[in-house]
Amino acid sequence: MAYRIHLENFEGPLDLLLYFIQRDQIDIYDIPIAHITSEYLSYLDLMESLSLTVAGEFILLAATLMHIKARMLLPRPEPTEDEPIDDPRRELVQLLVEYQHIKAAAERLRQLGEQRRNHYPRGIVITQEGNGVDPGEYLQDVSLYQLMAVFKEVMDRRPRNEPLQFQPEPIRLDESIRAIQRAFGSGGRITFREVLRKVHHIPELVVTFLAVLELMRQGVITVEQGAPFAEIYLHKVAAK
Amino acid sequence: MMESAPGEETLQVVEALLMATPEPLTRARFNQCLERPEVSLEAVIETLRLRFEEQKRPVQIVFVDGGYQLVTKAEYQPYLQRLFQKPGRLSLTRAALETIAVVAYRQPVTKLEIDQIRGVNSDSTIKTLLERELINIAGREEAMGRPLLYGTTGQFLQAFGLGNLSDMPKLREIREIMGATESPTPVVHETE
Repeated sequence: MAYRIHLENFEGPLDLLLYFIQRDQIDIYDIPIAHITSEYLSYLDLMESLSLTVAGEFILLAATLMHIKARMLLPRPEPTEDEPIDDPRRELVQLLVEYQHIKAAAERLRQLGEQRRNHYPRGIVITQEGNGVDPGEYLQDVSLYQLMAVFKEVMDRRPRNEPLQFQPEPIRLDESIRAIQRAFGSGGRITFREVLRKVHHIPELVVTFLAVLELMRQGVITVEQGAPFAEIYLHKVAAK
Repeated sequence: MMESAPGEETLQVVEALLMATPEPLTRARFNQCLERPEVSLEAVIETLRLRFEEQKRPVQIVFVDGGYQLVTKAEYQPYLQRLFQKPGRLSLTRAALETIAVVAYRQPVTKLEIDQIRGVNSDSTIKTLLERELINIAGREEAMGRPLLYGTTGQFLQAFGLGNLSDMPKLREIREIMGATESPTPVVHETE
């Protein structure tokens, strides 16, 4: 399976081309187009023979290379003082040089990030689970945006082909609030997902969401989440 | 006006501020906390740095994201890593690093420009970087279709330990460093 790993090392067609240029110690400003094109094409053949999907951008660059190769074969007018030779490779070279710079910059950033990671700032919290500490104790405040994101996720998960049902009776906010409070049972904590699980219709979902917001506003509950996309918890605030 | 040396009380106060906040301490915050300080924040930091050095403290003051931050010295990394029992906070794929490099050097930049420079589609990488708040939407380009423009964030500066954007290594400097030690790309890694 070495080939598969081999292929994944290239970020894209420019990366692959740069690899050939470095391997064969080619001057990037004077690329032997015929040679590099055949190398490149045989590589794409290899990918295809391994039943790998060759991404569109690889094929686009193959076409570009062949186009340049064709133009190189055409007789070109003699260069004059005001009209220097227009090298058909110019644009490709610009792309490659620019990509090479970005690749180097990316590597430099990686090093900087690594150096920085050796220095620990204040405010890091031990969140590792299973060391006897309830991770819930370290939950952070959740933003409205995160709460809405979970709500949207639940909405998206609902089957689409359900006919829209109109409730004969309106769903009442205060009933929904009581339902949430009942859902807590004797415990002080419940997940947002659990609250929504018992809800079956979209209007009811909306009202339940509003009920959670209302309970937050009244200070009856607080809402917390350990990390982005993690479980969101509703906490009952102890009565004073 | 000649600047006087920072007094002992000011030094103590600034150390307390640094100790208490994970966010970099900016000049604006310093001025706000000290109410008409008689010395500049830079002078205080300079004195504190010398003092830390003399006292062989395990922490140092770095300049990131436009402010000063108290961090542990690199030599204690192995212990801290064991304390938190997780790898450092930032690990990015090569695709992500390339994308953030394009954004950092070309900002504000559109997705189209990022794709052109990298030669591949960067949709999912951009999304990841947005989610990790290393880049953000910096507006729209006044061109056909008014595409979104991306720029780096303060989080980016913090993640890479940069004081501000002008601290970014110059592309020419990178070329000089990398050019000298350019090694052929490792190709086949026999893994598993």
